[in-house]
Amino acid sequence: MHIAPTLRRRGLLAAAAGLPLPFVRAARAQPSGEPYVMGTLFPMSGPNAEYGEAFTRGAQLALSHIAADNMLRRPIRLQAEDSQALPQPSVVGMNKLVNVDRAVWVLVSWTATSKAVAPIGDRAKVIMVNGGAVGPDLAGLSPYFWNVIALAHLEVPVMVGYLTRQRNVKRVALIYVDDPLGDAILGQLRAELPKAGAELVGSFSVPRAAQQFGPVAARVRQTRPDAVYVASFGGQQSQIIKGLRDNGVTQIICSYSAFSIDSVRQLPEAVGALYTTQKLDFESGDPVTRRFAAEFRARYNQTPVAYHANYYNAAYLFGLLARQVEQAGGEVNGDALREAMLRTRSFDLVGGRGTFDEQGNLMTQMQVNEIKGAGRSEIVQG
Amino acid sequence: MLFLQLLLNGLQTGAIYALTAAGFALIFGATRIFHFAHGTAFTLAGYAYLFAWRAGWPGWVGALIAVAVATLFGMAMERFVYRPIQRHEGSFFTVFVAAFGVGIVVQNLVGMFAGRGLATVDTRLSFATEVMPEIFVAPILWIAIATAAVLFAALTVFLTRTHAGVALRALAQNPDLIRTYGLSANGISVLAFAIGSALAAPAAIVTAMTSGLNEAIGHHVMLISIAATIVGGIGSLRGAALAGLMLGVAESLALQFVDTQWAEAVSFLALFAFILFRPSGIFGVAMAR
Repeated sequence: MHIAPTLRRRGLLAAAAGLPLPFVRAARAQPSGEPYVMGTLFPMSGPNAEYGEAFTRGAQLALSHIAADNMLRRPIRLQAEDSQALPQPSVVGMNKLVNVDRAVWVLVSWTATSKAVAPIGDRAKVIMVNGGAVGPDLAGLSPYFWNVIALAHLEVPVMVGYLTRQRNVKRVALIYVDDPLGDAILGQLRAELPKAGAELVGSFSVPRAAQQFGPVAARVRQTRPDAVYVASFGGQQSQIIKGLRDNGVTQIICSYSAFSIDSVRQLPEAVGALYTTQKLDFESGDPVTRRFAAEFRARYNQTPVAYHANYYNAAYLFGLLARQVEQAGGEVNGDALREAMLRTRSFDLVGGRGTFDEQGNLMTQMQVNEIKGAGRSEIVQG
Repeated sequence: MLFLQLLLNGLQTGAIYALTAAGFALIFGATRIFHFAHGTAFTLAGYAYLFAWRAGWPGWVGALIAVAVATLFGMAMERFVYRPIQRHEGSFFTVFVAAFGVGIVVQNLVGMFAGRGLATVDTRLSFATEVMPEIFVAPILWIAIATAAVLFAALTVFLTRTHAGVALRALAQNPDLIRTYGLSANGISVLAFAIGSALAAPAAIVTAMTSGLNEAIGHHVMLISIAATIVGGIGSLRGAALAGLMLGVAESLALQFVDTQWAEAVSFLALFAFILFRPSGIFGVAMAR
């Protein structure tokens, strides 16, 4: 939210035109050869566009690093398609990326949209990498569908453990969006809370377009919760937080990694809210993480968050794998990239050395963060 | 107690819906133009207030700016979009697509310049305190209701007691007669857009303080406005206002009886019921063909 308007406009226009600034520089550095096409299926318009902007920034920085390090013989062209966070536009965008642009690597997001486009990528053997959606069934969706984010089955138990052990929470209410993500988190809470000696005292499903949460807050208050878990995304989750706090819900508010966007962390009502992310220490000694954090701050005048790191990793991974394929003299395509991933498994990425399992899921440690206000958050359980 | 709490929440939402729906109904009733960009006027007014608030200006200055922005937008739409279209062709579909297109353009411009994501005006006015056991009320509730009541009273006086108001009503019934009396139908049409769009501003300000704004919020506003206009009776200002209030209350009270998932669906169930059983709406006049 505090990014200079010119930077934001330039970045958005470049992304919309499919010619991000890093690529322009990369193309000058390596003018030879047809570029590899890396597609993005992010929401670039509508109430979830803030995510698309954040995801794109991470990917753009990775491409600039791939170009600066001369990792590949051919340049990379980033081709943006607007998913609107909806399955139908995502399918249209994915078909274009696969059949018209001939993308070899597509960055995807959102549980419902990822599930919608996965069969298309699977048929075309195009690698799809998710760094934003957390629906547990995204694991093993296709041999060509990988995740560089911890899915809900990893996020929810960490939050439940923290709430019950550190905050003595026994009663949890859930407000969840009516989509595969919300259903997945409902299932996880139902399974995990009893194991930790707590209970789910109420679950309130809301439509994706719902905007008024005063009445929902009244229902939540009736359940007498110790904590309220919010499973939504985009502008709606901020509306839920504000609706709860404005209407007398003073208990702990918590969520998954979707809370790491700026509009939530800068919301005054969100101070004290908890959320899980994969373990990320931007001041750590590992050089990839330090380089990412320093250059992200310099380029965007913004402290990076988990989503920036995820999509940096998602795009940078292409550079690492395509370099292996090029060095072996092979053609860079979905099968070759997958073989390279399975052969290597462990990579130096933002957050430290990351290892993929056989299905293409990045194994990672988790942390719990607390929002401190004015866009800041602190790790309360590392 | 839950029923009373939900009723109060519903009245606040209903006041917002009533104001936006009345603005849309006034424009549609007087000009027969399906002003789909009415939601855009709402969005612009909300963001205008937000910027004034961020600039540290007094609330009343922000409110005046919001009203001015919405009014100017409505007048510009009439003058530069709808009037040229109607001069050449004027089909419903062309007008709708033009308004929809303007809405999309403005939505993206707002996103680019104001940022994407929720934006709110942080004020204690929206913070509810417990006034009775289990009953939480925020000052904004009374402000929303009082604002809606005052504006509707003023609008009623304007439409019934002033020459311009009478001309507006006449335009809805017989545009040719307006010209016969030497009045400018275009001028009255601009007046309808100005007043109708201005009515969206208070609702946008209350929304900025309560549930917050995003660049796409206009679509939701339009859905409610259209529903309220149909339920209230096409062309009926008081019908649209009452229907907007009823839809807001119904949406909230529904939570007493059904799952939260179905709250908004209740509004549209009411809409279907009216379309099926009373297509002319609450105050509409049934016509035989």
